[in-house]
Amino acid sequence: MKINEAAVFKWVVIVGVAAAVIVAVTLLTRPLVGSLLGLAIVIAGGVYAYRWARERWR
Amino acid sequence: MESATVTVGHGHADHHHGPPEANQSSRIDRQTLGILLFIVSEVMLFGAFFASYFFLRVVVDPASWPPEPFELPKAVAGMNTAILISSSFTVHYALESIRRGNRTGLKLGLVATWLLGATFLFIQINEYVHLGFSARDFSFGSIFYCLTGLHGAHVFVGLMLLSFATIRAFRGHFGPAEKDHLGVEVPGIYWHFVDVMWIIVYVTVYIL
Repeated sequence: MKINEAAVFKWVVIVGVAAAVIVAVTLLTRPLVGSLLGLAIVIAGGVYAYRWARERWR
Repeated sequence: MESATVTVGHGHADHHHGPPEANQSSRIDRQTLGILLFIVSEVMLFGAFFASYFFLRVVVDPASWPPEPFELPKAVAGMNTAILISSSFTVHYALESIRRGNRTGLKLGLVATWLLGATFLFIQINEYVHLGFSARDFSFGSIFYCLTGLHGAHVFVGLMLLSFATIRAFRGHFGPAEKDHLGVEVPGIYWHFVDVMWIIVYVTVYIL
């Protein structure tokens, strides 16, 4: 994958969709549930980014 | 053989002055690498502010957040978030247009992005006026204005960069070749970063 504006825009869409899910869950339940979901998404994203970076720069 | 070597040496000395050419990665051009490194430093800056926010909220003052009787306008900020996210789509449209050689699309996308960014900033300032608390009201007020103000400053800088890109677009600069529209690509990447940061600020400060 080439690093350019189009690649960064893809991340805007991914973060936007994840945020929309967190907002919906928080408003439907409690802020604690939304916070835990947010934390889980951030951890999953971190693991994915770490694996991607290892393969990309090998 | 010896004379040939001497000739080549002379030719090299005649045409090349100063230090050797800097190494250029085949994966990323230096302008894009520069903005990405800058964004990494910005992420650390925002990270420090978020660390302060969570420290104040969870450790220092967990009982009342936001303190009574203050309330944050979630709906207005949500609409503002939608405006900023749509501006990422317009700047992407501008870049896709110039990649296809469509100059009108480039200008239209850049002007639309600038207007959406300015609208976001105007609504943010209007929100500050009507919030009913200031940066001096508890740790909540301080960190709220610090986080949203830091982001607002980044939007302002982004608008300045977009202004230069827009003026250049109307003066006939930029072309479909990759190296000919870096003046839009780099502000575009910065604008996407500002957008992503706002999504995180909105979810953290207004929703959670």
